[in-house]
Amino acid sequence: MSQVVGIDLGTTNSLVACVEGGKPVVIRDGSGNGLLPSIVSLDAAGAVNVGREAQRRLLTDAHRTVYSVKRFMGRGPDDVRAEAEHFPFRVEGHGSGVVRIGLGERHFTPPEISAYILRELKRRAEEYFQERGEFDFEVDRAVITVPAYFNDAQRTATRDAGRIAGLEVLRIINEPTAASLAYGLDRREAGTIAVYDLGGGTFDISILRVEDGVFQVLSTNGDTHLGGDDIDQLLGAVIVGAMREAGHLPGAAQGGVAPAPELLQAIRLAAIQAKWDLSDRAEAEIRVHLPGSQGGPLFTRSIPREEFEALIRPVIERTLEPCRQALADAGLEPRQIDEVVLVGGSTRIPMVRRAVEQLFGRVPHVGLNPDEVVALGAAVQAGIMVSGNRDMLLLDVTPLSLGIETMGGAMSKIILRNSTIPASGTEMFTTFVDNQTAVDIHVLQGERELVNDNRSLARFKLRGIPPMPAGLPRIQVRFQIDANGILSVSARELRTGIEQAIEVKPSYGLTDEEVERMLLESFEHAEADVESRLLIEARNEAGTVLRATEKSLRNPDLAAAQNDLAPGELTAIESALGALRGVMDAGDRGAIEQKTQVLNDVTRHLAEVLMNRSVRAALSGKNIDGI
Amino acid sequence: MSTEPRALTLQSCRHCGAGAPTELHFCPQCERILTLARHGDYFSFFGLPRKLTIDLADLERRFRDLSRRFHPDYYYNASSTERLASLERASYLNDAYRVLRQPLDRIEYLLKLEGVAAGGHQASSQPGQGMLGEVFTLNEELDEIRGARQAGVPGATLRERLEAARRPIDARAERQERQIEELAARWDAQLDTGAPPDDRRATLEALKSLLQERSYIANLLATVKREEEGL
Repeated sequence: MSQVVGIDLGTTNSLVACVEGGKPVVIRDGSGNGLLPSIVSLDAAGAVNVGREAQRRLLTDAHRTVYSVKRFMGRGPDDVRAEAEHFPFRVEGHGSGVVRIGLGERHFTPPEISAYILRELKRRAEEYFQERGEFDFEVDRAVITVPAYFNDAQRTATRDAGRIAGLEVLRIINEPTAASLAYGLDRREAGTIAVYDLGGGTFDISILRVEDGVFQVLSTNGDTHLGGDDIDQLLGAVIVGAMREAGHLPGAAQGGVAPAPELLQAIRLAAIQAKWDLSDRAEAEIRVHLPGSQGGPLFTRSIPREEFEALIRPVIERTLEPCRQALADAGLEPRQIDEVVLVGGSTRIPMVRRAVEQLFGRVPHVGLNPDEVVALGAAVQAGIMVSGNRDMLLLDVTPLSLGIETMGGAMSKIILRNSTIPASGTEMFTTFVDNQTAVDIHVLQGERELVNDNRSLARFKLRGIPPMPAGLPRIQVRFQIDANGILSVSARELRTGIEQAIEVKPSYGLTDEEVERMLLESFEHAEADVESRLLIEARNEAGTVLRATEKSLRNPDLAAAQNDLAPGELTAIESALGALRGVMDAGDRGAIEQKTQVLNDVTRHLAEVLMNRSVRAALSGKNIDGI
Repeated sequence: MSTEPRALTLQSCRHCGAGAPTELHFCPQCERILTLARHGDYFSFFGLPRKLTIDLADLERRFRDLSRRFHPDYYYNASSTERLASLERASYLNDAYRVLRQPLDRIEYLLKLEGVAAGGHQASSQPGQGMLGEVFTLNEELDEIRGARQAGVPGATLRERLEAARRPIDARAERQERQIEELAARWDAQLDTGAPPDDRRATLEALKSLLQERSYIANLLATVKREEEGL
């Protein structure tokens, strides 16, 4: 039987988890990292790098490296125009439709970029299952999490990403709800829980009632564009300002030129590090290291926690109104919440914890790692679905009302927000002119009265209506939101009973044909992607040999060992070392492997000599019986 | 809310063709989940009589139990017919629970089910005969308060006046709630004793006009509240 996993596809980091012996566990890479940076980079050779390797390339090749792609999922070019300026990569496309991200010669939709991240997690999980000795270690099914406040287009984009990565998406579940599942494993008593989830790019609040193993969401609210990224941008702007003042951005001082993308990334990373430091300390040192430089930091400035908190206060306050709205929608007062759970890396910030504690009047719960709890919950849900075990059940809600455009540009709601899903609604349509055979329907999601203030999901054309006098046809359109929070539409003319054909034009999504094509393309590029993996492995191997050699050259015994070495041996080693360093950053795997081999060969004798000396040293003064 | 198909006595299993009463969710012969082609109403779906008094804890328990039996999470490996049946039954269950849980939505649903034209949420634009005087007085007072506010009379004084003006309306709203409860209880009792159809219908008609009056008053109180917030 092939394997099933739970995946947290995050803005900043992604994780994969599975259920083992009835408990969810995070699957880690060879170095023990659970978190995979959600970063994808295309190198000069056209190979795709994912994760830490791609993160490294942010500082050397920023404009070909994509991060925070989740912010672009299911959105149109016009939606992201302002935001796109903060990113080093090209964001293309115009009007409505799908955003395209340009990296070098190639273009990718956000679901394709996300699919690279998913494929890397799939590979990580397959390696894990293989090592564990599973006969069929293929991972072909997954539960993937999304922010609770994701709309239909964003959910569909996530499901498309899964399909492009070759995964059957068993279920899309909401991140806060997933977190509550992970927490709920150990506790069975009834209660009302608030899950406050502030991640890298999104904010969610969900209020749940847990009883008898049923996790029922009462209400949810949030903001799909609010998170740690916003804090990093604020702090980054402060650093840029301070650097400009100190004359560190000469180009900028003279002509107002923006810093190079790589330097901006260095500043962003410095901001992130300072933000992390300030979670444990009252003051942090911002250190901007010039990309590629080996020396000390280009710029330093200390920042006290008070200054940081004054800076980020507006971001944190933006999370409080959704909390109040969710409480009101659930018909609850803050004091009626039995437990508050914190999820997402940004909840490590002390000020966030204080704000939550103040709002709900109780100390929030932080028993599980806030970075990992969502992936654990996704694995639990995957387990529920494949095992058929009915002890636990998740009942989620749709975060936004669903409606259609009526005369005059108003929205008529058909399914209200916070309705438990699956949910359905029907609406009757008729014709306006005699013998009209088609009707247009515009489907929207949102809470506002006017069409233009809400999110356009799709335009449908109902065709094949039997010719009749105007107003006579009775076409019943059924809107169905499934357990993934994704909409489907069907229609029937009631007088004739004829099922109507529906032509869908998603406003911000991909058509099924496009997803199919991308899946095929991903196979075509698979060769380049395998090459990319081999390149990463070659670099890792080279790094190991480099570090070992450097360590030998620093060995205090080296001077004494000189006599055991051939003349010119050290010079040869130095030269092989330099040669390997010289090819490390280029994309030529052959060269890296060859120079690694050379360095390995030329240092073998030195290693033996040093080894012998240390063995002799260890043995000296001991007789043979003592060994 | 959509019009529900009227109850028919039998549905048939898409898998084995066996007939089943509409209140059943699973085929009595092959035990598979039944397609939701023909069904009864929200009450019978929960296995409840059409009564207006509902024990909410009991309803919640039934909701959880049925969710455990229908939810699409448990059918992802089943045939497409069963998957669709699970999706539709779970959707219907969620709709039914949402409506039956709220006392007023429950009454409106019953009125529609019993063929007493609804119109509850649609506030009547005319107040009932008995309350014309009160409404008139309140509106007059609201006008005067608006004028006084513009003339610079302190908010605290006006708030007191507003409070006084809304008191009779509040009292009426409370009376209405009690009347609605009484009528609901009467309907339940009439069902139990098998009262004549005309008597039952009279109860429903009375409920209907009370609901309309209630929405009218709710709108009125919302106006007063907006006015208060403006002070």
